[in-house]
Amino acid sequence: MKRKNWIVAITVVFFFIGALAGNAMALDEIRIGTIGPITGWATIFGQGVLNGAKLALDEYNNEFNGVPIKVFSEDTKADVEVMRTKLDSLKNRDKVHLIIGPSLGHEGMAAVDWGARNPEVPMLIGYSAPEDITMRKATFSVIRPGWTGAQVIFNFGQYCAKDLGYKKIIIVGQDYSYPWDQAAGFIRGFLENGGQKVERIWHPVEAVDFSSIMAKLMGMSKEYDAVLNNSGGAQVVGFFKQWKQFGLDKIYPQILGQANVPIVSMLSELGDSALGVYSSLHYYDGNPSAANQKFRASFKKKYGHYPDVIAVQGYDAVHVAFKAMKAIDGQVDDPKKFIAALRQVKMSADESPRGPFYFDKYANPVQNIYIKKVVKKDGQLMNEAVKTYKNVSQFGPYADIADKYMAAPATTRDYPPGDKASYFKEIEKYFGKDYVEKLEKNNGWVD
Amino acid sequence: MQFSHLPKTVVLLSSLAILVAVPWIASDYFVMMCIRVMYFGMLTLSLCFLAGELGVVSLMQASFFGISGYFIAILQTRYQISFPIPPLVGIGVAVLFAALTGLLVIRVRGIYFLMLTLVLGQLVWALASQWASVTRGDSGITDIFAPVIFGISTEKSKGAFYFFELFFFCGVIYFLAALKRSPFGLMLRGIRESESRMAMLGYPVSLLRYMAFIFTAFVAAMGGVFFAYFTGLINPHSVSLTTNVETLLSAILGGIQTLFGAILGTAILKILDVVLSGITQRYLLIMGILFLITIMFAPKGAAGALKRLWDSVVSRVFGSAAPAKGATDDSFLEDTK
Amino acid sequence: MSFLVIMSLLNGLTLAALLFITASGLTLSFSLMRVVNLTHGALYMAGGFIGLSVINLTGGWLLALLAGGGVMAVIALLEEKFLLRWARGNDLIETLISLSVAIIIGDLVLVIWGGYPKTIEIPAMLSGIWTIPVIDMVYPIFRIFMLGLAILIIVALWFFLKKTNLGITIRAGVDNFEMVSALGINVRRLFTIVFCLSGFLAGVAGVVGGTFMMLVVGEDWRILTLTLIVIIIGGMGSLGGTIVGALITGLIYSFATAYIPEFSLFILFLPVAVILSIRPQGLFGKKV
Repeated sequence: MKRKNWIVAITVVFFFIGALAGNAMALDEIRIGTIGPITGWATIFGQGVLNGAKLALDEYNNEFNGVPIKVFSEDTKADVEVMRTKLDSLKNRDKVHLIIGPSLGHEGMAAVDWGARNPEVPMLIGYSAPEDITMRKATFSVIRPGWTGAQVIFNFGQYCAKDLGYKKIIIVGQDYSYPWDQAAGFIRGFLENGGQKVERIWHPVEAVDFSSIMAKLMGMSKEYDAVLNNSGGAQVVGFFKQWKQFGLDKIYPQILGQANVPIVSMLSELGDSALGVYSSLHYYDGNPSAANQKFRASFKKKYGHYPDVIAVQGYDAVHVAFKAMKAIDGQVDDPKKFIAALRQVKMSADESPRGPFYFDKYANPVQNIYIKKVVKKDGQLMNEAVKTYKNVSQFGPYADIADKYMAAPATTRDYPPGDKASYFKEIEKYFGKDYVEKLEKNNGWVD
Repeated sequence: MQFSHLPKTVVLLSSLAILVAVPWIASDYFVMMCIRVMYFGMLTLSLCFLAGELGVVSLMQASFFGISGYFIAILQTRYQISFPIPPLVGIGVAVLFAALTGLLVIRVRGIYFLMLTLVLGQLVWALASQWASVTRGDSGITDIFAPVIFGISTEKSKGAFYFFELFFFCGVIYFLAALKRSPFGLMLRGIRESESRMAMLGYPVSLLRYMAFIFTAFVAAMGGVFFAYFTGLINPHSVSLTTNVETLLSAILGGIQTLFGAILGTAILKILDVVLSGITQRYLLIMGILFLITIMFAPKGAAGALKRLWDSVVSRVFGSAAPAKGATDDSFLEDTK
Repeated sequence: MSFLVIMSLLNGLTLAALLFITASGLTLSFSLMRVVNLTHGALYMAGGFIGLSVINLTGGWLLALLAGGGVMAVIALLEEKFLLRWARGNDLIETLISLSVAIIIGDLVLVIWGGYPKTIEIPAMLSGIWTIPVIDMVYPIFRIFMLGLAILIIVALWFFLKKTNLGITIRAGVDNFEMVSALGINVRRLFTIVFCLSGFLAGVAGVVGGTFMMLVVGEDWRILTLTLIVIIIGGMGSLGGTIVGALITGLIYSFATAYIPEFSLFILFLPVAVILSIRPQGLFGKKV
């Protein structure tokens, strides 16, 4: 008897848990759940999407056709186990009709996993960029009104080789899948359009000191033409700082950046050291379109600072959702109908701050990719587009051979190879000899 | 003396019935929370056992938790090896790792033990994070599917998973409680009180500490199995300092000395996690303050507080017929002295 | 190749300088009070942010340095007086208390300064690069300054501990605590002073680090881990050991990041684990 007190105890604990089980939800409202890292180091990635979404909801007065919209905002703390729990609770406890999120790469991969096992709740992926979410692991209920890491950078590689004339580039980045994807996309564009070599240097995600890397870059300066900083967040600040400290700004031309480098929130901290930085993205803050200007102005009014591409994701997601809801007359409790409608949404240049886009068959946008440069306008740093590539899908230049692209090995930190000879061997193997011949005939991709 | 056992019998039997009935009477969400509390609970139990019996705080229990998870992930997703081999290998490797690191760890005590385990835990984390070719680095490994047992898919049915886990969870508790009550437990507590005295009396102190370390690694690894199966993924966060500190936090909140405290603390932490995130972003601040208050004013944690409450209720109801304090040799609820 | 070797050497030395400044405070408080103050990382980070605010307000880097150190000294004072003192004698409890304070400060920093990474501008006088004669290589001036600052602090601490009465008393307290209190010296006040000093050093390190690298939430745990590595290798309670520990850590980190950055973290933790198990008191520490 005395031994078995633990059963009593366990039950006490479970009852304690039970006391906080949720109640049944009211009907006659549309429930949207948002999920992302709202606390901890990744706050800006989660809070940004949430801010954009809330702004868009304000434009609709937080209702659809008279039905009020309730938002359930959940925090993943950048932890996928927590995220999975919150996804379950959004579905089972809050009974949401739609989930917007998550933001981080590993969150996204886990989220599409969850989406495959829970197809009754449509998910609009916020900021997560791993391509497999809408390629090899694509599932019907997961739609991404966002981008993939490679999608926004294929053309940047092309631009650096063709327009900037670089032959050899060093990519310094954080060692995890999102920078791997960015490096891979860049390499493809670079090597297939005249580039010769890309050297990848990986460092821990939370590196503290870049001085040794700076030293290495100094030593490599004779052979290489430029350096691309393939990181995000605090690492970018540290990198730019030490780049200047070691005088590398005098040795190399401007730094090239991955997508997360010259975003608006970074620019204020990088200051003038960011001038001249090239990067590429599906959105640029200097876009003079009416949709973008309106978005920026109302965001600044509501939150006191200008938005970046992270907020655009939340903003666009809500607009996509509303367009779909209009198409099905608000019947969000028919998930199959809702999801089908979401996948059919098309946004025009007047409706989205990024420009026009529509979804491909894997539910990833086909959109404009802008090569942008950081300039100073009216005393403020911003990104201006120097070249625009239209209708770029997640497969980039490989849209015609999408199946071959997906059959090729997935990106890792070393794949695809960074030197021209080995790289061409790979693409001949997976994309076919005629693809290579076409490349050589056209001297790269046809614009 | 019979009288005082009566309420316990009633509560016991009904508790058992309720535990078993949970998947049918409770919501899906509640079942999920129980599942989570169980696997994190095993992690916390492993820390509490070492702290309670040996008096040392280990900040590397999550390493064993994560190692078993990683091996399950790799064997199942990369080599398509099916149940039950991956969890057996996972737990085996974790225990092996404990055997290895145990040789280092048993040589230190007190604050040095805490620091060494902290560093070793970080070593495992660094490996998980940087050895990308094996672990896929910070991206982690996804696509882990829970096994099919006796023809029922624990992947599809939360209830089935619950029972699957409950079985081993109760097993682990029984195991630890038995250890506590055994001569082994007595010797461990003797070491906690005075190591030199035990050595002088001829006990193999180092061997005992070594075995305790390995046993708790086994428990933590068991938790890792269910973590991997339920979440379907594993990444370096599972072996990070954050996870180790959260485990310590759970243990302190619940009461680091008892097994019940471990589970209660885990439940409190996980519930607060969910409840607070809906209200405020200041989760960390609140947890830090709670931690501080508990350490300073309630060193026996919530379990200690509940125990005092229970004792006072029992004595009020049964007066002198109540069992004398300390008379029950309950290794689960008691802080064995 | 030798270029990279020399650069890594310099990088390791200057990183060691920062690590020393940070770790010296932790060593001090441990040697006397036997407490591993896990709040140290948070004090570093908070000190850095305070310095950032001061610089934004006044533009004075030196002022920011002193402010960062000063405010952290006060926080350390409060922590010691009201929290740690209460648990005096029980190392484990004191350590856990310091851990909880670290978590609290960490979140407060997030509330006050936000989650975006920030950085402190290098003062104009110390920015730019300098061509080192003889080897004819360029190196950032600020990093050389950090080396100088570390040496200054070493000399100052040495002088303080060896030549001043207070310092001698502290060293006596480290060696034989009971005797010192038996002599009627107010040991409590001693503890408080030492703890304040360690807080001051942490704050100063934070401003220097924030200038040299970046300031962001999360830096507290990274710095704490590195600092623990330094004092574990060098030996807790020994200032000389801290210097050696900082050197070893800084050099390993720099060389590893230069040659095998993908495994740099692992390379960093390995020697620590080895030393802790063979010689837990560190290379120069007193026997455990």
